[in-house]
Amino acid sequence: MSIETITTDVATAPASEPVEVSGTRKLGPLGWVCISWLVAIVGAAVLAPILPLDDPSESFGEIARQGPGASGHILGGDSIGRDMLSRVIFGARTSLLIAVGAVLLGLLVGGFFGLLAGYVRGRVDTVLTTLFNVFLSIPALVLALSLVAVLASPDPAGQDSISHTRRVVVLILALGIVTVPILGRITRASTLSWAEREFVKAAEVSGARPSRIIFREVLPNVLPAMMSIALLGIAVAIVAEGSLALLGVGVQEEPTWGNIIAGGRRELSNDAPHIVFVPSAAIFFTVLSLNYLGDVIRARFDVREAVL
Amino acid sequence: MGRRKRNPSGTTSRWTIRAALVLVFALVAVACGGGGSSSESDGGGGTDEDAGPPQMGGKVVYGLEAETTDGWCLPEGQLAISGIQVARSIYDTLTTVNDEGEAVPFLAQSVEPNDDYTEWTIELREGIKFHDGSDLDAEVVKNNLDAYRGKYTGRNSVLFLFVLQDIADVTVEGPLTVKVTTSRPWVAFDSFLFSSGRMGMVAQAQLDSDACGRELVGTGPFKLVDWRVNSSMKLERNPDYWRTDADGNQLPYLDELEYQPTPEATQLQNGLDAGSVDAFHVSSNTNALIIEDLREQADSGDISMTESGDFAEAGFLMLNVTKPPFDNPIAREAAAIAVDREEQNNVLNNGIPELANGPFAEGALGYTEDSGYPEYDPDRAKDLVTQYEEETGEQLEFTISAVQDTAVLQAVEFAKQYYEDAGMTVSVTSVEQSALITTAIEKNYQGITWRNYPGQDPDNLYVWWYGAGNPVNFMGFDDPEVNELLDQGRTTTDAAERQQIYEDLNKELNKEFYQLWASWTIWAVPAASDVHGMVGARPVGEDGVSTDGSSDYPGLALGVDPALIWREQ
Amino acid sequence: MNLARELGKRVLALAVVLFLVTLFTSFLLTLVPGDPVDTLVPVPDENEIILERKAQIRERLNLDEPFPIQYAAWLGDFVTGDMGSYYRVTDEDPVFDRAKEALPVSLQLVLYSQILALVIAVPMGVLTAYRAGTRFDRATNASAFGLLALPNFVLALVLAYYVGVWLGWLPVDGYVNFADDPGEHLRHMVLPTVTLAASQIAIYMRLLRSDMVATLQEDFIQMARSKGISDRRVLWRHALRPSSLTVLTVAGLNVGALIGGAVVVEVIFRLPGIGTELAQAILQRQYVALQSFVAIIAIVYVLVNFAVDILYTVIDPRIRHARAGG
Repeated sequence: MSIETITTDVATAPASEPVEVSGTRKLGPLGWVCISWLVAIVGAAVLAPILPLDDPSESFGEIARQGPGASGHILGGDSIGRDMLSRVIFGARTSLLIAVGAVLLGLLVGGFFGLLAGYVRGRVDTVLTTLFNVFLSIPALVLALSLVAVLASPDPAGQDSISHTRRVVVLILALGIVTVPILGRITRASTLSWAEREFVKAAEVSGARPSRIIFREVLPNVLPAMMSIALLGIAVAIVAEGSLALLGVGVQEEPTWGNIIAGGRRELSNDAPHIVFVPSAAIFFTVLSLNYLGDVIRARFDVREAVL
Repeated sequence: MGRRKRNPSGTTSRWTIRAALVLVFALVAVACGGGGSSSESDGGGGTDEDAGPPQMGGKVVYGLEAETTDGWCLPEGQLAISGIQVARSIYDTLTTVNDEGEAVPFLAQSVEPNDDYTEWTIELREGIKFHDGSDLDAEVVKNNLDAYRGKYTGRNSVLFLFVLQDIADVTVEGPLTVKVTTSRPWVAFDSFLFSSGRMGMVAQAQLDSDACGRELVGTGPFKLVDWRVNSSMKLERNPDYWRTDADGNQLPYLDELEYQPTPEATQLQNGLDAGSVDAFHVSSNTNALIIEDLREQADSGDISMTESGDFAEAGFLMLNVTKPPFDNPIAREAAAIAVDREEQNNVLNNGIPELANGPFAEGALGYTEDSGYPEYDPDRAKDLVTQYEEETGEQLEFTISAVQDTAVLQAVEFAKQYYEDAGMTVSVTSVEQSALITTAIEKNYQGITWRNYPGQDPDNLYVWWYGAGNPVNFMGFDDPEVNELLDQGRTTTDAAERQQIYEDLNKELNKEFYQLWASWTIWAVPAASDVHGMVGARPVGEDGVSTDGSSDYPGLALGVDPALIWREQ
Repeated sequence: MNLARELGKRVLALAVVLFLVTLFTSFLLTLVPGDPVDTLVPVPDENEIILERKAQIRERLNLDEPFPIQYAAWLGDFVTGDMGSYYRVTDEDPVFDRAKEALPVSLQLVLYSQILALVIAVPMGVLTAYRAGTRFDRATNASAFGLLALPNFVLALVLAYYVGVWLGWLPVDGYVNFADDPGEHLRHMVLPTVTLAASQIAIYMRLLRSDMVATLQEDFIQMARSKGISDRRVLWRHALRPSSLTVLTVAGLNVGALIGGAVVVEVIFRLPGIGTELAQAILQRQYVALQSFVAIIAIVYVLVNFAVDILYTVIDPRIRHARAGG
């Protein structure tokens, strides 16, 4: 979980210029390409049921393990002949649902507590920061893995399976819990610096209620930091879903990018590497786009996560 | 399309030398009047004679598809093939099987019944010792048999308790003589002393140990050196092993043997290519494509391969008839005919294994071509589903528990569409390999992927099908006709009658659709080209001398005899 | 004296975090649905022996006690080396034995990958900082960016298949003890190390570059250059040291983070490290073992964090000077 590490640990590092990839703070053509990709993939995912795609669970014997172009299937077929294009698009639905859901949870809970800690400070801050640190003390993937393993464990007394919905909820919850402390710390750090500003002091002096100040004055300024980390977070969550699928605790009933890759592992040696490569490419471009846009936001709003 | 070979330049030089040597050998053989070919790859079963006489020494790393995390407390065990392979390295069974699938003495000198098959006398060989130096005598064999059948304090037999229920008593009749009395005539009892290699004789110390699963002491060709669970098991040669080969060399040939559990066969295949694994076994049940690949490699001389479809086991979907929906025969039949098995076999396995029509494969007792198992019939399936809904007022829905293996899961996913086309609602759940048997015992499933019934005497399969309070009948049926046939098969002495009995059993099982057949398994043991001697089982003659190979058991579903594996030095 | 007080505060914070983390991992077991003992030993309650055994396990794990007592007992056991077991009907496999074997493997993997990452990232970071703004810099940055977007499991699968099998250059799974055969040990570690190092390289390079760029603008650098010292010496002798603090800190922290974080790489390459043990414990539903492994991973991470934190405080001239100043 390298990106997670850098965001939390750069937060304790001395102030440094945010590293700019393109050298500018503007969106630029590359930025638009990234946005287009994301719009396309999210659009396809949302509209999947009404798009002219094959049923992702239908097998066409003749395209089993055949590469892109076989019998008119643009991205080929998987190991039992299901259309790869539709599986990847339907896979985007579940993968993105989980990733975005997790980060939303992190934003809401982590953001809230981060604002609280950064604004109120004192003992509330100490307690919250300690809690954040406790959860950050378990490497994110391990934390997510153990939470999913435990929460998605079937009841030994009942039938040996848990429903798809429950599993998705557990994944969102587990990955969400992992992102809470990260977003919490970032929000807190940003809040700390903004809370010292003139206009906030002015608002306090004029007698406005703290909640109003936090949400009216502080939050809008903290939002860019949260957003940029949130975008990175979604990218990390997508990859995490893949890791969990490979470890056998991911979604099983519906396709996801992770479980397509997991199922395609053995096909690398059966001359069907596209089963691994196609969803990997999807992940790659999505993560790339999210990272790039996250970086642009950071540069644009001059986000320094420098405060201890 | 096959796999790429390893680094071409590296392999070329090796192969040039090897080819040259073989050529020289062949020329010499021809000159001396023999007529060997120069091919090193094998087709179906048996040893490769062209490799010359077996050589002593060396080490082989053998890949297994699973770890046996519970260890080898044999009387309490429920070993699958990977466990059996290890068990056969450390332990010996009293009997083994020959080329006809008949039980013949092995660790025991002789195993003889009385006239009405109610008393079996086991004579042990003299001078055999366990790895810890203790003697193999009648006392320890009796204790073993009692432990297996659940009559030995301190050991808790699970599977064999029911398998050996018909044993009334086990007594010591002399220092090397044990007598087993059965409660009714038991014609094939001697094959039970083999039990697919599961009934090895365990040293007294291990029988009484608290860590019975891990302190492994047997009479077998190898001794345990180190066992890292899920990583590797290292074994070394037993220098006092009681068996010798036909030329008088003391077995085993190898100095060291190492087992590595690796769940994915592709990894094992990769390992073979890379040289980190020297041999492994793989079945068409889950890895038919890999077998296809391996055949190509064997043909081109990269590797050697021993393969067998003889005495095959069957892969099937086992149905739980104690609860809905499969307590209803209409549902069972609907599921049986809803799937186009041929298409499934073609897409998943490139048509390599043969579709099964019953538990007995060709060559096994009880096999019959018209076993009554029906063809794919989607229309009738739909009708049956409708009929089920009308009769019960319920939708026909069920969950398939599939063993945690990508290939099996995919096969089930493939079948799922056909079930749904017929109007059924199916969900899939995966079960970890080590939890499989427990899930079956507890009947915590509706349909579960399974593999069983390796071909030996079908009486060995009695325990899987007998009803009436038998917890090891995982399907939970109590079918009086089946029970009757099983009892007859056990006690009838006439061979032709038994053939008929088991054919009837075959048909009866199919009529009820307790098991939805997939295919008979082909087992293959690919190995590095300098590793030979993969033999299913080899009987011994007098004085513990191995026979010459003419009566080898060709099946590979029970693993290979580790003592006979050898490596060119 | 200030340093000692700092240290004291940190040790206290450490203790609190360790306590809370282990509290949480203990808590995990209570989240398992149904009776944990039935999950650990999934055998039907058929006879006396099984029932007795389950009762024995229940007592061992203090499952009938209130949670605080469970935790206290667990803690007492844990610090004396009893980390629970893999439970079976007739016997059990102590977790400690497995952990003892597994931890060094993971440590080796992580250390090798950090070394490799630094060996590549440091020169690259220096170079790109030196040539900041050039095409080389932009191209390198872009590549690093791309590398970051590549999931490590994809890289692992690709390397394992194409380098390990197709080309056959390196082994793709298993582990050999260094003591047994150093050559084979290293050969088995190459692919996993490269996989793990890949994303680290990207991060470290960018971090170092950013710090170097800042340092290179400082006065003392200008002075050195005006004195005629060659660019090379200025870069490597004068600029690198003060700039490398962040990178080294993060690398140090990552050693802790990756012990558990490398689980997928360990599993793909079949390295018998802590990650693999964790994954196995999950598959086998041995939640007690799972709990112990998570605790071990977390403790290692916290301790490494602590050590790096202390070192950082001691080493960082800015903090020291600030303290000395007031």
